[in-house]
Amino acid sequence: MSIEYLSHTADITMHIQAKTLEGLFKNGVKGMGNILKEGFCEFSHEINAKVMIEVKAADNTSLLIDFLSDVLSQSYIENVVFWNIEIIELKKYKIRAKLSGTKVEIYDEDIKAVTYHEANVTRNDEGYWCTSIIFDI
Amino acid sequence: MKEKVKKADINRLKDYFWEIPTSFREDMRVPARALASESIIDDIIEDRSLNQLVNVATLPGIQKASFVMPDVHEGYGFPIGGVAATSYPDGAISPGGIGYDINCGVRLLISNLQYEDVKDKMEVLSREMYAQIPSGMGKGGQITLTDKQMTDVLTRGAEWAVENGYGKKEDLEYMESHGKLPNADPNLVSDFAKKRGRSQLGTIGSGNHFVEVDYIEEIYDSEISKAFNLKKGQIVILIHTGSRGLGHQVATDYIRIMMNAMPKYNIELPDRELACVPFNSEEGQNYFKAMCAAANYAWCNREVISWEARIAWKNTFGDEGGELKLLYDIAHNIAKIEDYIIDTKEQKVIVHRKGATRAFGPGFEELPKAYISVGQPVIIPGSMGTCSYVLAGTAKSKDLTFGSCCHGAGRRLSRRAAKQQVNAPTLKEELREQGIYVEAGSFKGIAEEAPIAYKDVNLVVETVQNSGIAKKVAKLRPVAVVKG
Repeated sequence: MSIEYLSHTADITMHIQAKTLEGLFKNGVKGMGNILKEGFCEFSHEINAKVMIEVKAADNTSLLIDFLSDVLSQSYIENVVFWNIEIIELKKYKIRAKLSGTKVEIYDEDIKAVTYHEANVTRNDEGYWCTSIIFDI
Repeated sequence: MKEKVKKADINRLKDYFWEIPTSFREDMRVPARALASESIIDDIIEDRSLNQLVNVATLPGIQKASFVMPDVHEGYGFPIGGVAATSYPDGAISPGGIGYDINCGVRLLISNLQYEDVKDKMEVLSREMYAQIPSGMGKGGQITLTDKQMTDVLTRGAEWAVENGYGKKEDLEYMESHGKLPNADPNLVSDFAKKRGRSQLGTIGSGNHFVEVDYIEEIYDSEISKAFNLKKGQIVILIHTGSRGLGHQVATDYIRIMMNAMPKYNIELPDRELACVPFNSEEGQNYFKAMCAAANYAWCNREVISWEARIAWKNTFGDEGGELKLLYDIAHNIAKIEDYIIDTKEQKVIVHRKGATRAFGPGFEELPKAYISVGQPVIIPGSMGTCSYVLAGTAKSKDLTFGSCCHGAGRRLSRRAAKQQVNAPTLKEELREQGIYVEAGSFKGIAEEAPIAYKDVNLVVETVQNSGIAKKVAKLRPVAVVKG
C-alpha cells in the first residue's frame, strides 16, 4: 500500500498503489485527506461526521474518480476530513461505502476537483492495483 | 501514450504565430496554433501543453484552429491559456474547456489617490483588506444565502449584489456581459453545488486568487489611458477570483454526465477531461445553462468582494479617500456564443476560453460608452512581486484568436517545486523591503505563489502587443497583496 505525491505545473499528482481494489479506494481517500489537511489521515481522531456514499460508473477509473469527487464534495459541505472508510460493497463498477471523519476549522489546501486526466486504474506487473490522480488546486 | 510535440513538428506561420498542422496526428480536425515568441515556444515545448492543444484540435465541430496564448502551461484536458471555437449549434461544448473554476476572472478598481501622497498608509490598508475580505482554505463569508437568495444570485449575477446593498449600480456597465448571463437556469445546478456556494459569496479562496493594491508605474498609450481614466501614480485595486466551490461542483457534475453521454453521440476523445457533447443536445444545453448560473455567481462574488474592499478603503482613508470606481471586470474561464467571419462567412461559434481573456476591439456595442472608441480593457495580473498590465483589445484579435488574449503570466514551477525553492518568511520580508506588504493565511500560500513560480509577465505582454491582438495601456506595480 503506498501513496506518493508528484509535481504537476499548477496542480498535485498523487500516485496510489494497493494489493486490492478496496485498498486502492482506501488509499485514494487517505491520500486526498492528507492533501486537505497535511498528515491528518495518518492518525485517529474523534469521529463527529459520518456519510454513506454510493457510486456507479462505466469502469474502475471513473468509479474511483467519481467516488473521490463525492467524498470531496461531502468534505466541503460538512467541513470534514474523512479518514476512516468502511467499504460495504465493491463490485463491478459500483461502490457503497461508509465514511467517518472529523470536523475541521480550516483546510491546508483547497482542492477544486479530482480530475480524470491521466487516471487509469490498472494492475501492474507485480499484481498491485495502481493509478495516478491529478487534483486541480 | 501519444507522440510528444517536438520543435520540428511546428511551423512558423508569421511573427508570433506557430502552427502544428493536421498532418501531425490523424485525429486532428483543425491545426493547433500557438501565439508565442520563439523563446516562449522553446519553453512550452518542455511540458505537455502543446500535446494538450493537439488533443483540443480533435473536438467535434472545432473551427479554424485550436489556440494557446503565450502564458500557456500544462493543464488537464485543455491546456491553461487555451481557446477553442466550435460550430453553433451542433458543435461540442466541453466543460473541461472552461475549467473547474467557472468564470474565474479579474477586475480592477480605480481610485483618485496618488501613491506618493499615501504610501505610508499601505501597511494599514493591506491589514484592513485582510480583515474585511475573507481569504484562505474553507473560509466562509459574511453572507449565508437562503434558497431563494441563491436562486436570485444564480439568475441575476452582480445585479443581486447591487440590489441588496453589496454593490454599486454604476459598476454593472463596466463588467463583461454586464455581470449576468441570461441563459442561466438555477434548477440545473445541483444541491451539492448550492450547498458549497451558500456561504462563500465575498470570499477569494486560495490557490492563485488574491486582492492586490497597485499603483500605475507607467502609461504607454495616452489616448486609451484617458478613456480608461488611468493616470501615472494612481492607486488601483486588482481582484482575482471565481465561482468558488459552487463552480467547481458544477464542472465536476457535468463532466461526469458528459462522459457517460459521449457514447450516445459516438464521440471518442484522446483525454477523458475533454469530455463533451453537442451544444444543442439535452446534456449540452443543461451544462451551458448551469455554467451561466455559476458564471453569474462569480460576478456576484467579485462585486461583493469589491464592496468589502471599499469598506477597507474607507476605514483606511475616510472620506478623503474618495470613491473606488470599476475600470472593468473580465472572465477568463468561460464559454460564450460569439460571431466571427470564418471562410468569408459570418458564423456563430461557441468560444471556450480556459485561462484566456476576451479582448474585443473598438466598436463593440456592449462596452461602456467611454471605451467604445478605444476597445475593451484587458487586465493581465503578473505575480505578487513583479507587475501587472492593463491592455486594450484590438480589431485584429477577432481575426486572429477568436477575440482572445492571455490572462496572466502563466506558471512555470509546480507548487511543490516553489515550496522547495522558496523560504516564505524571507520572501515576505524581502517584498516588504521593496515596499510590498503581503498578508496571507499561510506561509505555504506565499511560497506557492512566489514570483519565481511564474513566467516573465513582461515577455508575455510584449508578445501579445507585438502580435497585434492587444495594446499596452498601463503597467501596475504592487504595493499590498492579500493572498488566500
